[in-house]
Amino acid sequence: MQTTKTMKQTCSILLAASSLLWSATAVAAARPRYGGTLRLAVKETPATFDPATLATAGPAGLSRLVFETLTTLDERGRPQPGLAVSWQVEPGNQRWRVLLRNGVSFHDGAILDANAVGASLRASNPNWKIVASADTVIIETDTAEPGLPAELALDRNSIFRRAGGKIGGTGPFSIAQWDSGKRLTLKANDQYWAGRPFLDSIEIDFGKDYREQATLLDLAKADVIEIAPENIHRAQAEGRTVINSEPSKLMALAFAGGPTSEDEAHARAALTMSIDTTAINNVVLQGGGVPAGALLPNWETGYAFTFPVGGSTEIAHQERAQSRRLTSWTLGYDASDSISRVIAERILLNARDAGITLQLASSGATDLRLLRISLPSAEPHVALTELSKALQLPGPKFSSSSVAALYSAEASLLQTHRIIPLVHVRSAVALRANVHDWITFPNGEWRIENVWLAPEKP
Amino acid sequence: MLTRNPTNHQTDATAIYNSPNPRMHLPSRARLVCCVIALLAFVSIAHAADWRQLAAQLSSKIAAATGPDVIALDIANRSSISAAEVENIRRNLADMLANSGVRVWQPEQAAGSVKVTLSESLQNYVWVAEVRQGTNELSVVMVSMPRPESTTSAQNSLPLTLHATTLLSQPDPILDIAVIEGSPRRMMVLGGNSVTPYEFRDGHWLPGQPLAINHARPLPRDLRGRIVLRKDHLFDAYLPGQVCHSTNAAPLGMTCAGSDDPWPLQVEDSAVSAFFAPARNFFTGALVPGIGQQKSAPSFYSAAAVPRDKYALWVLTGVDGQLHLLDGINQQTLTKIRWGSDLAAIHVLCRVGSQVLASSAGNDSPDTVQAFEFPDREPVAVSQKLELNGNVTALWTAQNGQNAIAVFRDADNENYEADLLNLACGQ
Repeated sequence: MQTTKTMKQTCSILLAASSLLWSATAVAAARPRYGGTLRLAVKETPATFDPATLATAGPAGLSRLVFETLTTLDERGRPQPGLAVSWQVEPGNQRWRVLLRNGVSFHDGAILDANAVGASLRASNPNWKIVASADTVIIETDTAEPGLPAELALDRNSIFRRAGGKIGGTGPFSIAQWDSGKRLTLKANDQYWAGRPFLDSIEIDFGKDYREQATLLDLAKADVIEIAPENIHRAQAEGRTVINSEPSKLMALAFAGGPTSEDEAHARAALTMSIDTTAINNVVLQGGGVPAGALLPNWETGYAFTFPVGGSTEIAHQERAQSRRLTSWTLGYDASDSISRVIAERILLNARDAGITLQLASSGATDLRLLRISLPSAEPHVALTELSKALQLPGPKFSSSSVAALYSAEASLLQTHRIIPLVHVRSAVALRANVHDWITFPNGEWRIENVWLAPEKP
Repeated sequence: MLTRNPTNHQTDATAIYNSPNPRMHLPSRARLVCCVIALLAFVSIAHAADWRQLAAQLSSKIAAATGPDVIALDIANRSSISAAEVENIRRNLADMLANSGVRVWQPEQAAGSVKVTLSESLQNYVWVAEVRQGTNELSVVMVSMPRPESTTSAQNSLPLTLHATTLLSQPDPILDIAVIEGSPRRMMVLGGNSVTPYEFRDGHWLPGQPLAINHARPLPRDLRGRIVLRKDHLFDAYLPGQVCHSTNAAPLGMTCAGSDDPWPLQVEDSAVSAFFAPARNFFTGALVPGIGQQKSAPSFYSAAAVPRDKYALWVLTGVDGQLHLLDGINQQTLTKIRWGSDLAAIHVLCRVGSQVLASSAGNDSPDTVQAFEFPDREPVAVSQKLELNGNVTALWTAQNGQNAIAVFRDADNENYEADLLNLACGQ
């Protein structure tokens, strides 16, 4: 058996006190203070708090306060021990042996064992063959999965337990109250294996638009709010404490299917090159992101700059000239998102300049849609695979784990002409001054299990 | 002026033991400059070797794409690589391409063009070559190499000089260290799960068999602990909700039990002790036997005693973020003073009274430690700030009362580093 990763047995506090910060409120020499309730206001409105669905509905990182995964990714996207302390793979990368952490219990007191882990993983991965035995879980996959440790860190692979009509995890907080789509109250897990969190509880108000959130922060009724990408600079100028991610959330146009003819492929290429993504970023988003030619951002791959971004009228006309038929498409967008509408209107104008007719539609089936998708993982191979699933693109094929192989796989996806990357936007939060140790990873994921509240200054 | 003795910094996963020799053959500033130059030179040489390897890989890929040809070479830098290094990389690439039959020439006279971009991601350096030849389509080749952990360093310089001498650096948390002077020198290192004895031999601290501490319940976050040498047995170790006593005879052993016994706030016997919250990171405020008539104080993280003629002035860093003074009768809150959470009282022989080492309270990283005296009720700085390359996780008075043990989480390698802090006069 080939050992690919064997983690050191470090004490739980080492993990809990991890200082792998990307963007964080730096706290120098002041010890963390136990107690208090952290109040968050967010825009999303998740209908359930099931780990399988929250991954796509709630702010990234929220679910892992309650539901943990076998592995976690550090700020560079490298797998680290979570509920698993080590993992080994057999030659061929299809059979993985995962050793579970001892002394972990669910919020209802049940001990975490291999059977519980197996049940959770089977629910989210029906194609995996999972054998549970004592403190070990063996995972067998149909195809080689060299990136399985990173995949295990996805929210959808959270370990949970359903009992008595309730769902619970092993995380630092348990669910105290869930008011569907409106409010979630979490309370500290005193028995958490990596040490009780500093906070006593967290209250999250869902469904608050950005203006409401700003008011709640100003009235000291919220400690943390989200900042729209287009308002990051303004919030900083107003003196707010703002923490933002790298440009990670992808705004893109997604076609419902592949081009049916060479003509249409050229028309799609013409549309791609006609869209002035630099102006969209600078004007509409106020520099809250970067123009994108690739699905994955450059900070994650190092090569994204090689994919051309839109805004070249000349190339757009050349491509359009190679398409012999007139093109007219309907473009759908999220009507509840005012920025989406403005961007859709700009795209319409850019397309018209290139001889392409677009009609905007805020509902119903459309030829293409304007989407906003969070980066699913800080590990690029996993991120590309998950993005492909979300966009209903063909699964990427990696010939190896190299950067060059990643590039080839992404280039192939873009050549399907089914997706037009526009902008990678930042996600950001504003904090009250007493909130410490808030961490936002480069991919926008919140890591807030170590947050603590300082006493208010007299 | 302030100095640090960052001896033998390494990034191995195993423990690193450093010479504690505080005697410096060179003046401290000169020593520091030498260390920095040596470190930079080492880093530069190490990178140069890596760059050559990466350049060789990229040149062979470019040559495979172009075949023998004359090309224009353009290099753009989108990474953290310095301009000087970029120039070296350019020369290396041109030489290696020439060896592969690809000549680099002026753009107007070249048959093709190669744009090399030195890029990077979170994990890797990524060098990308975009190759154009004639009317052929653009071809893209790339090579990559893992990026090292980030490297930074920090340094800073009144009447007293604060020195730090590294004792130990290791991946696992260090809660406290008790140094036992003698021949050989020994020290007991308290971690979250063990007490490990070390001996200083041949210029290195050598670890002995760790004495395990078994826990009945999860340890709290921001774990703290104290180890104190005793007269009738070697040591007592205090952890939240647990106390361990060593044996008083060889072989060295230790027994631990759940206990809410108070932790000593001073190293002397019959000194003031305080109860520590069993699942938290602070003292509850209950004092034994008390400070004068005061049997309790606000909950606090750390305390330091400043002896006066007829009483001791105690300085406490409260959980409320305030600095509290107790003189045995009155309690006073210094609302304008913003210190960090950790204090340690030490006594330097050239000064009257005690000094208080305090961690910084600002939001700047790295943390600093500074020495203060209390001529009256207001602290006066008596040293500049000593920068520690990371966040302070522990600061305790050492067993002799003349030094302090500071532990910080090294921002470069994430190791826990324990330093012996001492104040020197007239330097």
